[in-house]
Order: sequence, then structure tokens, then C-alpha cells
Amino acid sequence: MNKSIIIAMVKRYLLVMRHDLNNIGEVFYEPAMQIFIWGLASLYIKNATSQLPHIVVILLSGVVFWMIAANGQYSITVNFLYELWDRNLVNIFASPLRIREWIISVMIVGSIRMLASLIFSIILALFLYHTNLFQYGLLLIPFVASLLMTGWVIGFIVAGIIIRFGHTWQSLAWTALPIFAPFSAVFFPVSTLPLWAQKVAAFVPSSYVFEGMREIIFTNHMSFDKLLISFALNTIYLVLSILFFVFMFRQSKKLGLGRLV
Amino acid sequence: MLQPVLEVKNLTKKFGNFTAVDNISFFIKEGEILGLLGPNGAGKTTTIQMLLGVMEQAAGEIYYFGKSFTKHREEALKQINYSSTYISLPWRFNVLEILDIFAGLYEIPDRTKRIRKLLQEFELEHLVHKPFYALSAGEKTRLLITKAFLNYPKIILLDEPTASLDPEIAVKVREFLKKEKQEYKVSMLFTSHNMSEVEEMCDRVIILHHGRIIDENTPENLAKTISECQVELVISDTKRAIAFLEEKELPYENNRSHFKLTIDEKNITDLLMLLAQEKINYQEISINKPELEDYFIKRLEEANQ
Repeated sequence: MNKSIIIAMVKRYLLVMRHDLNNIGEVFYEPAMQIFIWGLASLYIKNATSQLPHIVVILLSGVVFWMIAANGQYSITVNFLYELWDRNLVNIFASPLRIREWIISVMIVGSIRMLASLIFSIILALFLYHTNLFQYGLLLIPFVASLLMTGWVIGFIVAGIIIRFGHTWQSLAWTALPIFAPFSAVFFPVSTLPLWAQKVAAFVPSSYVFEGMREIIFTNHMSFDKLLISFALNTIYLVLSILFFVFMFRQSKKLGLGRLV
Repeated sequence: MLQPVLEVKNLTKKFGNFTAVDNISFFIKEGEILGLLGPNGAGKTTTIQMLLGVMEQAAGEIYYFGKSFTKHREEALKQINYSSTYISLPWRFNVLEILDIFAGLYEIPDRTKRIRKLLQEFELEHLVHKPFYALSAGEKTRLLITKAFLNYPKIILLDEPTASLDPEIAVKVREFLKKEKQEYKVSMLFTSHNMSEVEEMCDRVIILHHGRIIDENTPENLAKTISECQVELVISDTKRAIAFLEEKELPYENNRSHFKLTIDEKNITDLLMLLAQEKINYQEISINKPELEDYFIKRLEEANQ
């Protein structure tokens, strides 16, 4: 693993963020809009009924934390897509860059991007709705780490599909993650899902994070089993998703990476 | 013989039933420029992709500096670089940012100095803050070549490097490539559809056809295998000229007083003596010796038959 090469690739993708307004949109604009809309909706619900006293913090936590997974996923698939859009894929993979160095670099960029978006979102939620998401205390760290891993898992799977099958599958970069939102129980408890969906949710690591988050809001404590299950599932999926990406990369090399540019 | 910088042994690439590269073997010595010629679809790009490690071969071996490319990929790629008209660079980045990223990828020790020197060499200094998308086609090509020389490569693969350059810059690029070859013994694999450029640049050429090497020699030797020359004459007395050529059964084409004959090089003296004897005066004469392009076209026609 070469540190200089990883730094060069991190620099490359951070510069993409600076040069392309779309990235700024994904990191700041999208969370801001979600916070505005869900914040107002939750205030309305809170005023309409006394049965949901924690609705504001539940919905805003859901929005802000879901963006963690989104940023983790975008940083992998969208940064990979930039290499295709820029017709730069051959340039980087004909250099001494190893695939594992590329993987590490997009994970680092994903973490930076996620942190920027998260801090911005927490401050915005505090400023607009007086909702302090730091109330989760130190548990915020494992929550964030677990959701980031979920984002990476989906990111590597989608990037693997795109590197093998090309541009025609690029819309997956924006459509793959929302499929997991209902099963993650972002805004509602898993128990409200139909039975078959609850079974699916049991295999979705992010569902344990959001369940745990609500547990803290309602009871002020959380069972660490949920967090452990979430991490265990994420670890297994992350390893499998990276192996899948590397396999698809090798399959793609059989056809030649030059065909993708 | 010194160890070749690049050695390719029985390289083969298949896509299903289609064989794109068929058991080719060749080598490049230190400081040698090897031309890779062939019509579209001959297997040039496929070969280059395998040589860069962005395509897996079906069979065969590639050796850089005597070591297997499969086993020593990163070590080899540090000393190789590549430029092609058919690739691009990060679209929104400016010239300096692009070179800085690639200098990082190749771990160039004296990054700033190297970048400055190459920018000067390729007359890109005034464009350092210009984004890639705003560069002209020629400037983009020059930047791609600059990128290709960043890591002091020992071997460089150039896929039509001067295709979109205006003649003046193309000459400068060729001069730079020759200088790199002379001073630093940089080896090059060179593809181009411009045969005069290949003749000027390449020490040796290989011609690919349907994925196979059909010829390998120096450009001069290949051209020499065609003995026929083209003699162009301007003769004002067209009637007598036509009568003479038909009497001697010499094949010709003419457009008013302009005559074009294709004859064996050794018969040119006889032709001129006969014209003098017949007192047929010519106002202008030009003798065109066969070039690599003539050989290339002839060889492909033969191969297609």
C-alpha cells in the first residue's frame, strides 16, 4: 500500500468536489432541503398530535443519519463515474495505482465528505429546529461508522456493476440506496413493516442503527446488541462487496478498461 | 544483445471466437522507436491496452526490463507511460492540478521542477490555470504528452501522439521525442497513420493485420522491397509522347502535358536516353521513390487477397 499514491487519489477526488457544483449539492444542498422539509413536516405533526412528542428529533435524526450512508455510497460510485466521464480510467489504472489503493482513497474521501455533510446538517438542525443531535453522545461515533459502512457496501456493489457493464448502469449510483431506506426503518420502527419486510430488515445493518437511535430517544439507553449486529453485518457485507468489486474489475479487465472511455 | 526494454512473447487476445491479437512476438531495445502499424481493427489498440495492463491477455507473456509484467506490474508501470489521442484527462481540472495529481501517482521526487520543465518544453506555461475543457485540441494533446513524460519513463507508448496537432507543433513534438530518445535513451512504441512521420521517427516497424504480424523491418528496408518508381514528366509535345509510350508499351497516365509512369527504378536511365534519342523534350521531371506508405498499401492489398 503506497501512501503517496493514496494521497494523490484523495487529492484528485477532493478537487472534483471543489470543481463540480453537483458535489456541493450532494454534500450541503440536499441535506439542507431534506432538513427543511422534514423539519417543517415534523413540527406540523407535533402540533397536530400529542402522541408523538419526539417526532421532530426522530425525523431529523433519520434524515441526517441517512445522508451519512448516502455520502458514503456517492463517494465511491460517483467518484468512479468521474473517471468514466473524464475518460481518465486508463490513465489512472495504467499508472502504478493498485486497486486496493483506489479503494482506500475513495473510502477516505467518503469519510471526509460525510463529516462535512454531517457537521453542516447537525448545525442546521440545531439552528432551525433547536434539535440537538449531539444528544446521542459518544454513541454518535458507532452510529456514524456503521451507516458509513452501509453506504460503502452499496457503493462498491454499484461501482462493480458499472465497471463491468458500463455507463448504461450509471443511474444505479442515485437509485440503489433508496431501495434500502424502507428496510432500514429510517423514520418508523421495524415493527410497522409487513412481516416479510421485517425479515428483510433483519439483514439490513442500518435498520439496527435507526432502531437503536429511537431507543435512545424513548428510553435514554440502548442495547449494544443492536450495534454489534449492525457492525457484524456491515463487516461481512463490506468484505463481500469489496471482493465483488475486485472480481468485477478483473472481469472488466478481460474486456479491456479502454472500452469504458 | 542487450536485454530488451520490452519483450512480448506469443501475446494473444480473444473475444469469444474472435481473435483480436494472434500470437504476436516482438521486442523493443533501449532507445529504440518501434512503429506499430496496421489498418483500423488490426489489433494495435488491443495490444497497447495489454502492454499497459488495462486488459488481460488470453495467452502469452509481456516482459519489461526482463521481468514478467504480470508479476511486477507496479514496478514496471513506474517506468512506463502512455499518451493517446483517444483518451482524456480530468475535464474540470486546470493544467497544473492535472500534472500535480499524476506526479503524485508516479511519485515524482522533484515534482515542481519537472512539471515546470515540461510545461516550458511543450509551451504550456501560459495555460497552467486553464481548465482542461477550455484547451484547444492541440493543447490537450500536448498536455497528454506532458503527462506521459512526467515520470522520466524508460519506455513510452504513444498512440497517434501528433494526430490533432498543427504542423508546427507536431514538428516540435517529434523533435522532443527524438531528443528524449537521443539523450535519455527512452524507448517508444509508436502508432500513427501518418506514414511520413513513422518513416521519420521509427527505427523499426511492425505491421499488424487481423491481429498478426505480417512484416517487421526498418521503414527503409520495407520501402526498398518495392522496385517500381513513379516518374512524372511534363512534355509539351503530347502527341509524340503518347506515340512513343505506346510504341514502347510503357504503361502511363496523362493529363494533358502531364505524364505519370510507373517503372522499375533500374529502367529510368534507359527511359531518359530513349526520350533524348527520339528528341522528345521534357520541361519538368520528378522521380518519386517508393515510400513506406506505398509498401504499407501494397502489403495490405496482398494480405487481403
